[in-house]
Parts: sequence; C-alpha cells; structure tokens
Amino acid sequence: MATSRSPIVLVPLTMTGFPESPTPLTAAGDPISEEEALRRLRQDQDHSLQYYAAWWLGKMRSQHPDTIPLLLSALRQRQPREKGAGVEHNAVARNAAQALGKVGDGRAVPELLAALADEDEGLREAAARALGELGTTDAVRPLCERLASGLAGAGACRPNSPKLQEPCEALLEALGEIGEADSMVLDTIVPFLDHERPLIRSAAARALLQLTGEPTWAEPLLALLDHPQLQVRRAALMDLGAVGWRPALDPICRTQAENSLKLIALRGLLEHGIGEPSAETLLEAMDDLL
Amino acid sequence: MTCFERSPLLPRDTIQARFAALIDAVERADSASQLLQATRTLAQTLSDLRQDSPAEPPPVDALACLVRILGFNNPGAAVAAVEGLIACGPDAVAVLLGGLDDRNYGAKAWAVRALAGIGDVRGLAILEQALADDVGPSVRRAAAIGMGTLRVSHLAPEHRQTVRQRSLSALQGASKDSEWVVRYAVAAALEKLCMELQARERICDEALSTLNILADIEREDVPVVRLRARLALNRLLSPRA
Repeated sequence: MATSRSPIVLVPLTMTGFPESPTPLTAAGDPISEEEALRRLRQDQDHSLQYYAAWWLGKMRSQHPDTIPLLLSALRQRQPREKGAGVEHNAVARNAAQALGKVGDGRAVPELLAALADEDEGLREAAARALGELGTTDAVRPLCERLASGLAGAGACRPNSPKLQEPCEALLEALGEIGEADSMVLDTIVPFLDHERPLIRSAAARALLQLTGEPTWAEPLLALLDHPQLQVRRAALMDLGAVGWRPALDPICRTQAENSLKLIALRGLLEHGIGEPSAETLLEAMDDLL
Repeated sequence: MTCFERSPLLPRDTIQARFAALIDAVERADSASQLLQATRTLAQTLSDLRQDSPAEPPPVDALACLVRILGFNNPGAAVAAVEGLIACGPDAVAVLLGGLDDRNYGAKAWAVRALAGIGDVRGLAILEQALADDVGPSVRRAAAIGMGTLRVSHLAPEHRQTVRQRSLSALQGASKDSEWVVRYAVAAALEKLCMELQARERICDEALSTLNILADIEREDVPVVRLRARLALNRLLSPRA
C-alpha cells in the first residue's frame, strides 16, 4: 500500500467528503461498472465524464487490457496552458497520471517521466506521485533535479498563489517511496526539513525516515502530531503510516484527529513496519478506534 | 470536570436545576469553541451522574440536548455528545431513536455510532440498515463493531438466538464491503460475537467460515484485514484458558 497523504487531491469535486470518501457513485447515485468507465474514457465529448472515469479506473486498479492504452491517451490530451483554454483536458490528464500509478503497469513509465517536465504544475505533481507508487528508479534523478534549487528555488512561494514553485510535497514523497537512499538523494531532501510550511517539513522527514530508518528523522513527524492545525496533524499521521514507524503507536493514538485517519496510519504501521510494538498490540489499538 | 461538587445525595430538583443551566449554556453557545466546551461539560456531568448514582435515570432533557448537538455540524461537539450518550447506556436509546432524522445525514451517522457504542438490541434495526446502506465507511465501520458487541445476556434464550443470527447475517453481508476498514471491523466483530457463545454453536461455525475467507490471501487483498481475521481465528480456535 502506498499511502498517499492527499488521497482526495484529484478526486472529482462532488465526492471530496474528506475523510469520508464514500463508495464511488455517479451523479445519479449508482456505482458504475468497469465497462461503463472505459466507455466514458473512450468518448471525448464530455470531459467531466472522462475525468471521473480516469479516477475510477485508478481507484479500482482496473486490470482490463484497454485501461492502460486509454489512460495513456487521456494523459496525452493535455495542452499547453493558456488562459481560458485546455484546463479541462489537463484535468483529465492529471487524473490519468494518478490512475496510471495506481494501476501499476510499467508501460506508463516513459510518458510519466515526460509529464514530470510538463508546464502544468498539477500534472507534474500527479506524475511524481504515480512514479513514486510505481517505484521507478529512473525517476530519481529528474525528481532530484526538480528539487535541487532548494528552499530559495523549488521551495519558494509563487507570487499571488498558495503554490510553491514546484510541487515539493509530491516530489519528496516520491523519492521516499522509490527508496534509493544514496547521498545525492539525501542531500537534496535535507534542506526541506527547514521549510516554513509544516506540510513540506513533514514530507521531507517522511522521505528521510523511509530511506534511512534513522529514528532521528521520526522526531519532526512526532512533533507535528501536536501541531495546532488539524490538517498538519493529519499529514503527519499519513506520513508515519506510510513509513510504518511502529514506535509512533502511542503518539498516533493520542493525537487529536479522526479515528478514520488514525486507523489508516495504524494500518501502515502493521503493513510497512517491523519490530515492536507487536502486530497484536497494534491490532488491539486499531480495535479500540473502531 | 464537573462544574459542581459531586454528591450522590443531591436532591433531584437541584440536579435538574444544574442540568437546566448546562443545557442553557449549550443553547446559548455562539461559537464553535463555546459549543464544544458546553457540550463537553454537559456530557461529562451526565457520565459523572451515572457513575456516582447508577440508579438515578439521566434527565431526558439533557439526553435530548446531546442528541440535538449531533445535528449541529460540529464534529468535536458531536464526539463529546456521542461519548456522553454512550456513558448513559440503555437510558439514552429511546431518546436517540426518537431523535433520528433521515434528512440530516451527519446527525444520523453520529446517532449510529452512539447506538453501536451502547450495544442495546433496540438499535439493531438501525445498525443493520447502516451497515448495509450507509455511504460513509466510518458509519458502516461503527455499525459493524456494534453488531459484535450487542448486549444480549438479559434476553430470553430464544430472543438472544434471533439477535445473534441477525448480527451474523449482517456481518456476513458486510464481509464483502468495498472498504477495507469495514471488513476489518467485521473480522473484529465476528470474534466478539463468537466469544460470547458458550460452546461451538452453528452461528460460531458460520462466523469461522467468514473469518476464514477474510484471512485468505486469495480472497482478501488487504494485509491488515487478513491479519485481523487470522488473530480472531487463533483466539477462537485455541483452547480457552
């Protein structure tokens, strides 16, 4: 399980009931079939249908032989960003990139690597997450290059926008997921521990903890479980779960956040972690949160 | 923390006057944090009353106030209200069932959690419906675990059997839920359901066969669900101490 800490970023807006993500429903309220999802992605008249279909195929990890070719063609629908044009095509492309990561097929790698250099920051973000989920070692160098300019470059705020110059969280997370722990990678990540935004610090600590297993990198994450903002505590929960850092059991149970998210974090401790506390202790802690 | 000195011997009208003040504080709260604080105080005072004077029925006005809070769209206050209602146990069930509003999804979801936590069989039909149909995984999850912890010891044996059979059927259906956390809760609930049974009964055999499916890598994709089902099987099949 690759625990993405922003599971809803690319989910159709009608269903962003975070942290309740209801079983996928169409606008009419009926679950759709794989055939129906493929049909919606194949047509190109209604982009909102394509948008939903691409998300659905990823969520369901569709293994249909048409899935990868259709998602790749949806990824190619992107257009140069111009005011008032191409936004919908790019939204479909972003969901397609995300879905390609979830479906888990190496055929998507070359186009995802190309998307990592796209002008559309949202598409770079989705491609980075997908390459992280696929564990693509060829992505390590381009990911590091995107981050190499550090806090003053990649990590700087854009004027008049809440966004940073690069989708740093996704890039950092992907490096952690891929798991190449050489010094070039570590040196690229370390500066982001000092980023002014707690979510970036959390992503950097998560990646370092995943890559090295050094307890010292768990400290920033445990500290963020006490952060005054719920959004930050949620991110720290997802990050500790993604790493599977079992010593975090008690702080996870204590933090002020929804049980749904604590359960996801503890699932991560069980599935990705080893050692103490034991599996039975972790399962009992999960039972108490049901 | 209570806002008055605890005493099991308080006269009833004093208790009522104090709850009236606490309810008033909830009604007059004009910010989310005030509502949260007032709800916590009211819920805690009800829990304390229950602990100190178990024979004293909790004031219906206060229970009804907690049930109304479930519909206020303030998650922190709703959590506190659910805890207060669960602390009042079976005494809260009639008020909860009477206050159910199908048009307010959020309120109903919290009410299901309270009913699941209380474990009173009068909530069974609501839990069945929630487990089968609710759109929120956290509501289905709570309903599932509630099915495993319904209190049946005071029921006549025949009635007890019927309740257990209905719980089992609902849990078997939910073992195919699309969300892992619901299947996880089903595994935990099946363990609890079987623990209650004295000897190997038919219901227990059926529960074990559902647990075997949830523990099977060919039929269950999510490792943590298999781990939970495996733990349940180990506990149920090992000789009891």
